[in-house]
Amino acid sequence: MTPELKVLALAGLLQVIQYALMSIPANLQLGIAKTLSPRDPQRLGKPLMEQVTPAVGRLFRAMNNHFEALILFTIAVIVITLSGKSTSFTQTAAWIFLAARVLYVPAYALGLTPWRTLVWGLGFLATTSMLIAALL
Amino acid sequence: MSSELSILAIYGLLVVVILLVQVLLALPQVGLAYLASPRDKDAHLTGTAARALRSLNNSVTAMALFAPAILILQAQSTMTSTTLLMAQIFLIARLAYWLLYLAGVPWLRTAAWLCGFLATAYLYILAL
Repeated sequence: MTPELKVLALAGLLQVIQYALMSIPANLQLGIAKTLSPRDPQRLGKPLMEQVTPAVGRLFRAMNNHFEALILFTIAVIVITLSGKSTSFTQTAAWIFLAARVLYVPAYALGLTPWRTLVWGLGFLATTSMLIAALL
Repeated sequence: MSSELSILAIYGLLVVVILLVQVLLALPQVGLAYLASPRDKDAHLTGTAARALRSLNNSVTAMALFAPAILILQAQSTMTSTTLLMAQIFLIARLAYWLLYLAGVPWLRTAAWLCGFLATAYLYILAL
């Protein structure tokens, strides 16, 4: 297993952890009657994510952001792995991506401005450089 | 590196560009301070910035569907000139889709989306 694939597996697990971090407090706050229902808008009054506390809303947005980051990172890792283009540069970039995505969660939850944006940018830059490295 | 994989990497970079353009278009409407904040209240984007956001979301969805098809073909080593053509059609259609969305061109945008979608669907059929 290349280091990039290992980081990819860990980044996948981070998504699972973010799911738990969001859904456990969300279920406690909303009650399972609401979350188990088909969530029809006319019965909910307003979207579920507008009925939770701001912190849970932040964890929800952080989780959704990781979905997008993960799709792009997966492409970078797979292209590099399948084309045999793994170098110490791409491996370092992969670890930087993971570190940035881990830090992104508390930065979002605590509302650390502008650190959340900077950490997000670091992960985005790491992924972009991996995509470019794959094409060179 | 096979050409299909290159196209996948290029599409990844296109999504990077689409995202950066979306942020740049949203910036004058909501301000840097809002973007850096935890965004506890939804910002209401209008005009081109709203289109950029919708096209970004659609591009990410398309990426999630396109990438596995290419990876299956690559893992099976079942690439043909047809799969290359489909990947090329996908890339061009998605670029056109984005530009047409930003320009607010109806029907043609849907046609471009459909081209990319059908090309992806055909790749899955070829992968089986």
